[in-house]
Amino acid sequence: MKRLLMVIVLGLIGAMVFSTNVWSLGRKTVIKIGINAPITGDIPKVGEGTKYAAQMWLADINKAGGIEVGGKKYPVELVIEDNEAKAESAVKANTKMITDDEVLFIVGPQSSKQAVPAGDVANNYETPMITPWSTNPDSTKDRPYVFRGCFLDPFQGPVLANFITEEFKFTKAAVLYDVASDYPKGLAEFFKQAWEKIHGAGSVVAFESFTTKDADFSSQLSKITKSGAQVLFTPQYYNEVALIVQQAHELGWKNPIVGSDSWGSAETVTLCGKDCYGQFFSTHYAAAGAKGETKAFIDRYQKEHGYVPDDVAALTWDSLRLVQKAIESSGKITGKIKKDRKAVRDALAKIKNFKGITGDMTFTEEGDPIKCAVIVRISDKGEYEFYKSVCPN
Amino acid sequence: METKQETPQRAYKNLLARYKAFSNRIPLLGWLCGGIGAVLIEYFLGDLVSYYLGLPKVPVLFGCLIMLKKPILIPGAVGYLLLVYGLPVFFIARALATPANKLAAFLAKGPITIAALVHLGLLYAILHIWTDMSDYRVLVLKLTMIAVMLTLSLNVINGYMGEFSCSHPGFMAIGAYTTSTITLWLFANDKLFGEALLPAAIGPFFFPLALIAGGLVAALGALVIAIPSFRTRGDYLAIISLAFLFIVKSIIENLEFVGGPRGMSSQPNYSNLPMVFIVMVLCIWIINNFVRSTLGKALCAVRDNELAAESMTVNTRKTKMVTFMFGAFWAGVAGGLFAHVLRYVNPGSFGIQRLAEILAMLYFGGLNSVTGSIVGAVSINLLSEALRPLEIFKWIIIPLLLILVMLYRPTGLIAFTEFKPKELMRSKE
Repeated sequence: MKRLLMVIVLGLIGAMVFSTNVWSLGRKTVIKIGINAPITGDIPKVGEGTKYAAQMWLADINKAGGIEVGGKKYPVELVIEDNEAKAESAVKANTKMITDDEVLFIVGPQSSKQAVPAGDVANNYETPMITPWSTNPDSTKDRPYVFRGCFLDPFQGPVLANFITEEFKFTKAAVLYDVASDYPKGLAEFFKQAWEKIHGAGSVVAFESFTTKDADFSSQLSKITKSGAQVLFTPQYYNEVALIVQQAHELGWKNPIVGSDSWGSAETVTLCGKDCYGQFFSTHYAAAGAKGETKAFIDRYQKEHGYVPDDVAALTWDSLRLVQKAIESSGKITGKIKKDRKAVRDALAKIKNFKGITGDMTFTEEGDPIKCAVIVRISDKGEYEFYKSVCPN
Repeated sequence: METKQETPQRAYKNLLARYKAFSNRIPLLGWLCGGIGAVLIEYFLGDLVSYYLGLPKVPVLFGCLIMLKKPILIPGAVGYLLLVYGLPVFFIARALATPANKLAAFLAKGPITIAALVHLGLLYAILHIWTDMSDYRVLVLKLTMIAVMLTLSLNVINGYMGEFSCSHPGFMAIGAYTTSTITLWLFANDKLFGEALLPAAIGPFFFPLALIAGGLVAALGALVIAIPSFRTRGDYLAIISLAFLFIVKSIIENLEFVGGPRGMSSQPNYSNLPMVFIVMVLCIWIINNFVRSTLGKALCAVRDNELAAESMTVNTRKTKMVTFMFGAFWAGVAGGLFAHVLRYVNPGSFGIQRLAEILAMLYFGGLNSVTGSIVGAVSINLLSEALRPLEIFKWIIIPLLLILVMLYRPTGLIAFTEFKPKELMRSKE
C-alpha cells in the first residue's frame, strides 16, 4: 500500500515537471514595461503626470493590438511601482521590476536623487532604463543601459544666460537658489559660470541661497534688490517660485525674474497668480500655442484628466514612445529576457532624429539626448506661451 | 450541569489550546529545521506549486504583492503559503521534535556560543536559500536587517535610558559618509577622490574596519548631544538632538568634497547578505549584553529617577555619555552598511522622514526590549514593502496601525521584556 502511494506521488511529481515545460513553451510572450514613479511622497503631482501619460500610452497600444516586432504583435503590460520619492524605495522598485516582474524596459524614476541610484541597479542587471526628467549628469554617466529624455543642466545654464543677455542686454544678474537640493544648486552654479563667462567675473552681483522648506526669503531678496541686479534667476520648484516672486514684488523688485524647467509645473501659475505673469523660464515644451502632435497630446490629456499636462507628463510620453520605437526596431522578441533587453537597448541607442512632442532627439554616446530648449513666457492669462527655441550648436 | 456545546468560540479556544500544547513541545531548533524544509521546498518545487495554483510565478513576498494587485489570485496565494510554508514547517517541526529536543538538550550542556552559532547557522541557511530565489528579496532583507540595527541602537537611548533623542539619522549619516569616503577613497575609481589607492581585492576584508571607523566618528558626534544631556532632559534634549540632526545635514550639504547635496555614488558592493547578517547579529548580541550588564541597570535607574540614581552612586554623567556614544556607534555602522547596499548616499535621505520611520519602528515594537525592536523593525519594514501596491492608502493603514498599537499597548507590542538567548534555545522536554 505504502509503496503504491509512493509510486503515485512520484508519478504525479513527474507529470507536473513535464507539464510545466510543455506549458512554458506555449506561453504567450508579454512585453512588460516598468514605470518607477513618485506616486506618494514629496512630489505626488510628478508621479500622477507620469502615471497618466503611461496609461494614455498603454491605451494607444491596446487599441493597436500591441507592439509590432518583426511582423508579430505582442501584448503590452505596464508595471507601475510607487517609489515614494525616496532613493531606497526607487532602488527597491527597480530591483523588484527587473528580477521579479521581468520587465523589458523601465521608464523612470523622475527626480535625480532617485534616478542616480536606480540607474545603477538597472545598469548592473543590464536592463535598459530611461529617466524622462532627471537632469543630473551622473544618472547616465558610464552607464550604457541608462538613457534620459531631457537636456542636462550644463546645457540649460548657458541657454538662459545667453537668452537674458540677448533679450534684455543686461549685464548684472542675481541668483537665488536652494543650497540643500541638488538640482537648483547645480543649475545655479552652471548659470553663474555661463554668465560670468559672458560678462566677466563679478557680474553675478548676488548669489544668495536658502534651505529646502524655507518660506521666508525677505533677507535674501532685500540683499538682491539692493545689489543693483537687473535680473533675478531662481531655478526653484513651483511651491517656492510662488513665494519668491510674490515676496520679491512686495520688496519692490521690478525687474524680470527668470526660471528653469522646474517652473514648468501646472501648479506654478495657480499658486503664484498675477505676480508670475510676464516672467520667462526655459523648459522642454510650451503648452500654449502648440501644434501638431504636441497639441493632440495636450488636448487629449486635458480632456481625460482635466488639466494641461506639465513637462513631466510630456517627457514621459516621449520616453515611452522612444521605448516603443526601440522595441519595434529591435528586430525580434525572443522571449529570453536578457537577450531582448540587450537588443532593445542597442536599438534605442541607434535612434536618430526621433520626432517627439518635446522636440527632436538623437542620443549621444552617454545616452543623453541632443535636443532644443524652449523659452516660455507666462502670458497675461497665465498660460505658458512659446517664446523662442534655443538649440545646441 | 454544564453542557458541552460546540460553539465557534469554544472550537477556536480548543484549537488554540491544542496549538499551544503542540508548540510548547517544539524547540527553536525544530522550527528552524521546519523553516529550512519550507525554503527548500520553495526552492525546488515553488514554480510547480505556483503554476498549479494559477499564480503567474512564485510569490516574492509571501504573496502580499500579488494579493493586493490582483485580488482574484488570493485563494491561490493563500494556498501557496499553506502548501509551501505552513504545512511543511508544521510537519517537519513535528516530525523532528524529539531529535531536535535531544540536540537542544545536548547543546545546552556546552558553552552558549556554540549553541547560538548552530542556531544562527540554521537561520542564515534559511535566509540564504529564501533570498536565492530573487534579488528583490535580498535587497528587502538587507534593508530590514539594517533597520533592526537602527531601531535597536535607538532603543538603548530612547528606551533604556529614557531620553528622547532625535539625532539618530544624523549619526547614521555620519557613519554612512565616513564609511563611503574611506571605501571610495581607497578602493574605487571615482570622480570625488580619484584613483583607488589600494588594490580592490583587499576591499571586502577592509570593509569591517571602515564600518568601525564610521561608527567611531558617529560616536564622537554623539558627544555633542551627550554633554548637553547632563543638564537637560525631556523635550529640551529632544530639541537639541533635532538641532544636531539639522546641523549634520547642513554640514554635509555644504561640504563639496563629499558631493554636497548631490551625494556620493558608486560605492563598491561590499554590503552583501552574509556581511549584513553578521554585523546585525553582532549588534544584537552586544546590545543585548550591554543592556543586561551593570551599566544597563544603571541606564534604567537613570531613566526612572536621575536624582535617586545619582545618590545611589550611579555615575549619571558617565552613563549618559557611554550610552549616547554606544547607540551612535551602532547607528553609524548601520549607516555604513546602508550606504553600501544602496551604493548611493545623499544628505536628503537622512532627514525628518528617516527619523519618523525609525521612531515608528521603535515605538511599534516596544521600548526597553531587544525582541520588541526586532519585531518592530521587521514588521514595519515588511508591511511598508508589502502594502506598496496600495499607494496612498499605505500611508493611512500603517499610521492607523500605530495608533491602534498605542491605544491598546501604550509601550509597544513587546515592551520591557528581557531577551534571553539561553531560554529561547532550550530543550522543550
